[in-house]
Amino acid sequence: MVKISDVRQEAKRLLEKGKVRGVVGYVPGTRGGWAIPYLIQEAERAEQLVWDPTCVHNLALFVVEEKKEQAKQKEPDKRPLAVMVKGCDSRAINVLLQEKFINREEVVLLGVSCENSGVVDRRKITHLLHGQQAGEIRFGDNGNIVVVVNSERRIFDPQEVLADRCLECQYNFPVVFDYFYGEKIKKTPPAPYAQVEKLESFSLEKRRQFWEEEMARCLRCYACRSVCPMCYCAECVVDPISFAVEPTTTAEEKAKKIKWIEKSPLLSENFVYHLVRAIHLAGRCVDCGECERVCPEGISIRLLNKKLEREALRLFNYVAGTDSQAPSLLSTFQETDPEDFIW
Amino acid sequence: MEKILKKSDLGKWVGKLSAFDCYAPTKENDHWEFNQVTYLDSLPEDYTQVNVPLKKVVLPNREVLFNFEDNRNGGPHIQEVLPEEKEVVVFGVRGCDARGVALLSKIFSESSPDIYFERRKNQLYVVGLSCYPLPGDNCFCLSVGGGPFSTQGMDILLSDIGRKYFVEVLTPKGEKLVELGWEFFAEPNDQDRQDRLRREKKAQEMFNLEIHEAEKKAGVLHHLFEDKIWKTESFRCLKCGICTYLCPTCHCFDIADELASPVPLQGKRVRVWDTCQFPDFTMHSSGHNPRPDKSSRLRQRIMHKFLYFVETYGEIMCTGCGRCVSKCPVGIDIVNILNRVESHEG
Repeated sequence: MVKISDVRQEAKRLLEKGKVRGVVGYVPGTRGGWAIPYLIQEAERAEQLVWDPTCVHNLALFVVEEKKEQAKQKEPDKRPLAVMVKGCDSRAINVLLQEKFINREEVVLLGVSCENSGVVDRRKITHLLHGQQAGEIRFGDNGNIVVVVNSERRIFDPQEVLADRCLECQYNFPVVFDYFYGEKIKKTPPAPYAQVEKLESFSLEKRRQFWEEEMARCLRCYACRSVCPMCYCAECVVDPISFAVEPTTTAEEKAKKIKWIEKSPLLSENFVYHLVRAIHLAGRCVDCGECERVCPEGISIRLLNKKLEREALRLFNYVAGTDSQAPSLLSTFQETDPEDFIW
Repeated sequence: MEKILKKSDLGKWVGKLSAFDCYAPTKENDHWEFNQVTYLDSLPEDYTQVNVPLKKVVLPNREVLFNFEDNRNGGPHIQEVLPEEKEVVVFGVRGCDARGVALLSKIFSESSPDIYFERRKNQLYVVGLSCYPLPGDNCFCLSVGGGPFSTQGMDILLSDIGRKYFVEVLTPKGEKLVELGWEFFAEPNDQDRQDRLRREKKAQEMFNLEIHEAEKKAGVLHHLFEDKIWKTESFRCLKCGICTYLCPTCHCFDIADELASPVPLQGKRVRVWDTCQFPDFTMHSSGHNPRPDKSSRLRQRIMHKFLYFVETYGEIMCTGCGRCVSKCPVGIDIVNILNRVESHEG
């Protein structure tokens, strides 16, 4: 079991000694005991850190955010940022290292193991509790999840309450870290691609119908993109900010700006948005599943990424985020790469 | 006007409203949305609150304003496009959502009438459903001028009092709907009135979330433009549009031209949802952005609701539906923030 007191102590020490400019970790949120991501800068606040099954967020995102923030500052604090990382978070860090978005010395990684459990799916919990508010959610024995409702202790099997991404995960402990908490317990998910395979078994028409129904619901709030640590482009094609418009830019030049996508949440545009995102994540997505968790419309976004993940595995024996030194999938060519799709 | 409608008669009454497009809460995956229905035998017992609020009916996420075309010889041609003439009845509207549309009317009807909004609003009949028990853990309408039995913005309010609905007919539009199925409505007796009142009282005691003295927040916020709370609280903000798109009162939009053909020029001018949380929202064409980061955008959202709107229209632009609290993927909690800024006073 991860001893949170050890994490707190290390975080406190790092802050006291001025080794890091801050610690990004989980602290209790305001409503119903769900953890929130938080930047701790004062050593005494390290006591607030928590590690429980509500620590759903991928904190690698905040490494990206802080890096961008620093780029704007004239005299940024050059000390590293400490971050609590789960298995999936650490794989995202690996991709950031691999793509040279960050350097290893910019982060101090406090690795926490999910052991034989994972994080919970809020929708599943809400459903099981019939809308009642959970007071506390913590790890129990053997991967079980303990939920306290109205001071009554209820124990759930991981299969009932864990997020799908955790049930299908085989990287339940960090692959890159400076400090490690908990145990490395090997886990082999029974069928990591069961949902992809189920969808693939449908006819083309049925698959089209499935995706049309999913995409039609998209509100284009961009929460899936915004939460993704791999979506770090300075400018996204869906809402460009650097129009590079100078006072001397003529109206004609402005008009010539390429518009890749309409702002309207029409079916065609929603498809463009999600497919562009999926393609850009091929060989990069670490399946932290945050995109699907944050979607207010419950769109099966993960399924798209999972499909590409499986293609990368099947065709190139490639798994994203396992090795920061490996060449990245889409920038590499090997003579042994399959080419039977060319004829 | 007060009436009684047996629950078993709801479907029969709705059957008389065939001239209207009827919308009701239906379950999609694990959440509720207003969708068009061809019949409505009952309002679902487990119905809580729809995901996308009623505002989508009066302020759809895409409104075509006009078509344009460059007729080479005849010059440019513009053809106005107005919302379809179709009267719409929405059932099961919660007080917060109905108040949301009422507040939007202050902007889109009263101060500078917007022809698209007005037409949609005039065609809309709101049949509310009072909240007992409360639909969500994060409801706080009572502290922002609403309530679980609020009637503002509604034409009819239905209150569940067991096997029947206590019906409050609030406007001529509401009367029109009731008249179409007059045979199903009876007069309420004292017991019915007491049942309704008892439930309202109980509902008011069920809130576990409250903004303390919300009406005084404008005065406090006035001094907090540079406060560090915005930075602390926005650290985890994703800059997504969930809080504003699902807000019953957020109404910011963008205008865009959608081209069907560049030469000869032909296309549509549309109005689409936009949000202060997006980086390009306040981007000036000069390249300057007055709300350049997530902390200034979080501040903007809260200030707009609890200070700027209060200054302009004398009301808080939040109806306490709790969606932004429940749906925020990183737990940003407007109620908590506003209660904390109390202590900053002075």
